Amino acid sequence: MLLLFIVIPLAMAALMPLVSRLWKGLPDILGVATMAAMLALSLSQIRLISAGHRILWDAAAIGLPLKAGLMLDGFSLLLLITISLISLFACIYSINYMEHYGAKGSYYALFLLMVAGMNGLVLTVDLFNMYVFLEVAAVASYALVAFGQKHDEVEAAFKYLMLSVVATTGILLAMSFIYLMTGTMNFKELASMVGTGMNVKLIGLCLALFLMGFGLKAAMVPFHAWLPDAHPSAPAPISAMLSGVLIKVSGIYALTRVVYDIFGLPASVSQAMIWLGVASMVIGAVIALGQNDFKRMLAYSSISQIGYIVVGLGLGTPLGIMGALFHLFNHATFKSLLFLDAGATEYATGTRDLSKLGGVGHKLPITSLTTTIGTFSIAGIPPFNGFWSKLLIIVALVEANHVGVAAIAIGTSILTLWYFLLMQRKAFFGKLAVGLEKVKEVPFYMALATFCLATLCLLVGLFYPWVTAKLIQPGMTALSNAIGANGFSMFGQ
Amino acid sequence: MNPNILLIPILVPIIAGVLTFILPKSVKWGKEILALIATAITMYYAAVIFKAGGEGLRLFVPWTSFGINFDLWAYHFPKFILLAAAGFEILLALYTASFMDGKERSKEYFAYFLLTAGLANGAILSNNFVLMLFFWESLLATLYGMISIGNKEAFKTATKALVISGIADFAMILGIIFAWHLSGTLTMSEIHLEPMGLGAAAFVLMGLGAMAKAGAMPFHTWIPDAAIDAPLPFMAYLPAALEKLLGIYMLGRISLEMFTIHMNSSMSIFLMAIGAITIVLAVMMALVQKDYKKLLSFHAISQVGYMILGIGTGVPAGIVGGLFHMLNHAMYKCTLFLTGGAVEKQAGTTELKKLGGLFKLMPITGVAFWVAAFAISGVPPFNGFFSKELVFHGAVETGKMIFPIAAWIGAIFTFASFLKLGHATYFGQQSSEMPNKAPKDPGLAMTIPMLVIALGCILFGVYSKLPLKYLIQPVLEGRAILEGHAGHMEFWVFHLNWIVWVSMACLVIAWLIHQYGVKKGQGQAYLASEPIHNLPVMHTLYDWAEARAFDIYEWFVNGLLKGAAWTVFKVVDRGIDAVYERLIVFVGGVATGVLKEYHNGLYANYLAWVVGGFALLVIYLAVLVK
Repeated sequence: MLLLFIVIPLAMAALMPLVSRLWKGLPDILGVATMAAMLALSLSQIRLISAGHRILWDAAAIGLPLKAGLMLDGFSLLLLITISLISLFACIYSINYMEHYGAKGSYYALFLLMVAGMNGLVLTVDLFNMYVFLEVAAVASYALVAFGQKHDEVEAAFKYLMLSVVATTGILLAMSFIYLMTGTMNFKELASMVGTGMNVKLIGLCLALFLMGFGLKAAMVPFHAWLPDAHPSAPAPISAMLSGVLIKVSGIYALTRVVYDIFGLPASVSQAMIWLGVASMVIGAVIALGQNDFKRMLAYSSISQIGYIVVGLGLGTPLGIMGALFHLFNHATFKSLLFLDAGATEYATGTRDLSKLGGVGHKLPITSLTTTIGTFSIAGIPPFNGFWSKLLIIVALVEANHVGVAAIAIGTSILTLWYFLLMQRKAFFGKLAVGLEKVKEVPFYMALATFCLATLCLLVGLFYPWVTAKLIQPGMTALSNAIGANGFSMFGQ
Repeated sequence: MNPNILLIPILVPIIAGVLTFILPKSVKWGKEILALIATAITMYYAAVIFKAGGEGLRLFVPWTSFGINFDLWAYHFPKFILLAAAGFEILLALYTASFMDGKERSKEYFAYFLLTAGLANGAILSNNFVLMLFFWESLLATLYGMISIGNKEAFKTATKALVISGIADFAMILGIIFAWHLSGTLTMSEIHLEPMGLGAAAFVLMGLGAMAKAGAMPFHTWIPDAAIDAPLPFMAYLPAALEKLLGIYMLGRISLEMFTIHMNSSMSIFLMAIGAITIVLAVMMALVQKDYKKLLSFHAISQVGYMILGIGTGVPAGIVGGLFHMLNHAMYKCTLFLTGGAVEKQAGTTELKKLGGLFKLMPITGVAFWVAAFAISGVPPFNGFFSKELVFHGAVETGKMIFPIAAWIGAIFTFASFLKLGHATYFGQQSSEMPNKAPKDPGLAMTIPMLVIALGCILFGVYSKLPLKYLIQPVLEGRAILEGHAGHMEFWVFHLNWIVWVSMACLVIAWLIHQYGVKKGQGQAYLASEPIHNLPVMHTLYDWAEARAFDIYEWFVNGLLKGAAWTVFKVVDRGIDAVYERLIVFVGGVATGVLKEYHNGLYANYLAWVVGGFALLVIYLAVLVK
């Protein structure tokens, strides 16, 4: 069953270049249908997982001579649902948006390859497969960033590739050290072995390598520099996927799995994550304030918001984990919404330079409304979803006696509101800028995707107790158990 | 009684607000009818809730763990505020229906209006900090929306209001976090702390948040801007009525229930000082304004000072006075803004220079204006007189004479500026510059709210025993603050002592200042003073003033006073404004600029950061390990 999450997108990716020759509209239909099926499939698992079960699959069980397995628990399911949800809306949006790029067959093939990689990453139970799936998703994303094939896009993709190589080298190095010491790559086996008479310094080095490698994938400061180039250069639905989902899966999810499930979140890592989170939060927000490029501002804002998630996960308290996971889900919804809106604005006006925009709010009613909802969500204004998750993180920080960090988190959310209001004013309000008199609202499918995501932001905010109970709580339990069941602490408490 | 009815005053306006948003434009009068029905239902249930006896109604639904619960409690304090708020909501719905008729975006205005009503009612009834903050912060969104509907500059003002309120709310959240840390609970009624150490910080921060909502200095600068930019009913609705009720109510809960403020403790002095400074500085700025709405907006700030001063005294008379003044202020300032709206709609302008002689043309508006003007100035027997006297009594009782003196100075210039405003608008010659040559009283939908509230100003004055005994006094009953004051609980018994005479003297001084100013300003239409000028007694008084105080007046009003007023306006007021508008923007710009410089797109640079960050992590995780 779990294998379907990887096999279906992989098979569809292989089919895409072929079917695109049969009929031009077919890739669109198949792409959306695949993602809708993935979403339905992942949603259908909620009942079982929220009841506290885990689903396991082993390659040996079907007679494959492989030492590989898959596992679905609350944490993986949350990511799985996030991936399918955002991919579905990105696909719907692509129907109109990717029209002028052409080569839709290859586009959907790469898109589905990336989804397959991410799905595999969140389901796998050993380090090496994690690395393989990480690279599958990453390679697809390099190609997608460069999809437009203009000078800037290729340069950004190359820079992204070159920095990612550093990350993956670090990750691979750490993995080989661990294999050298233990002789296994399986999470569960590693968890029982780590800490029993091993070289503490070497484990420390491995942790530093993991933090650097996954931290770069997640774009934490100071490993963030590739993101503001890469994310804005990609086509809008891909930006939404990269900022909304990919950095969380290949950065946050992978890091959390490793430091929680294998190492049981040592106190020093917890501390390091909190500091990395605070640095990302503040520096990302301050730079976002000065951006004139709509998508670049959103990219810096992603760095800042990732900071909140890392801080919450670094805390390791049940409330902190809950806030972080909820914020992870929420950030996926509103950041992909905002990237799609930025794409819509560019599609309609031909520019994403905020100083050249102005007053298009009346011309683009749906885009303007949904951007406003995205703004309110990301700035944490109730009753939108961002408010609740930020509140949980801040309450968790106070509860863990990190009052200073809590104050910084609140201050950053004011900064966030500030730069988003600046963006709103420059782009949508005020006098209509010269040359934008003939601007028309974007085509149906693009508007539909943004509208659905905006509605989702509001609904999740309004019914947050239900969402947290069904989606977030199981993830939190899985992670808390990982720390609790593995009480090992290398450096004392 | 079923406690679920507590949800009605919150949900009915919010649902109506959402319906208004999606109402098709073609439905004529739909939004007005919806607003009136929703506010009427709210009013009815506010009255039902008010009549519930005993400990009041409490709706408690456990929400999440961590002490965050859905907890509404209507005991004596909130249910009195709820009733008052509901009263303003229905009257303003009626007024707005007429004022906004035919204006662009009026549908949106009604939607925000109703949402604000529901959210404010929610904030009043909440008994859990997280729930309260939910409503309190949501009000920022509707505040932004309502201001932005005004003229072309309104977006700037709305942003300014949002930033300032956001900073104040940040202080409040920080204070709540401290209070939570100290008391271990988020249930508001279970918090009882001493204002010392971290407790003092909690009190000051929460107090600042509450006072900022009420519009006290230094969080006031957006209000005068909004007076010009926002639609007028907004001014009557939020800065004049609801925000005062909410802010002072929250200040009352903080300083009466969660903390106990003793007379002349440092916290008491802190509150009284903010009160006194707000009174004096704001009234001085009000004096130099030459626009109907702007002058009123500065008074909306100044009068908050009396409420804070009264509550800050820590003595029963002052606290009762402060709360009574909150109610009275909401009434007369609402009326004043409503008359301002009537003048704007009928005469086409609110600049005093272009107005004049409107009393004959708009007698109903004129009467409502003068009733409210006398009430705000503390002229007996209008309601403002009684509440101000109680505040004076409380301030005198503390023994720190600087505070009652500041309050009296405020009283002098309040009256003087209202004489100027009323005179320039309603008496004298009709200015030839008035855009609309033949203004008349507006329709019933606008005059009824004005008259009802103006009548209330008279009733609450003449029968001040009613509100004091049934609305205000229950708030204080059973509190520690009353110890040693048991004999003085009959606040409605009027004492004719020297404090009253000083207040009366203030009114006379104000009158003299006005007379003299009018005389000096002869020739300018908006300072014409013939009707009052020719009264014989006044003439004598005027001659006396001219003979004895000529130079002092010149020196005082034109030199020092005008100088001081302008200095305050330019340096303090604009200075504070500059902190919000310039300094923060500048600091943000510099920080961004520095960071942007380092993000220069060079791969080597970025790689160096990665290596540096990695080195730090290795040092922390591997080298420093024991």
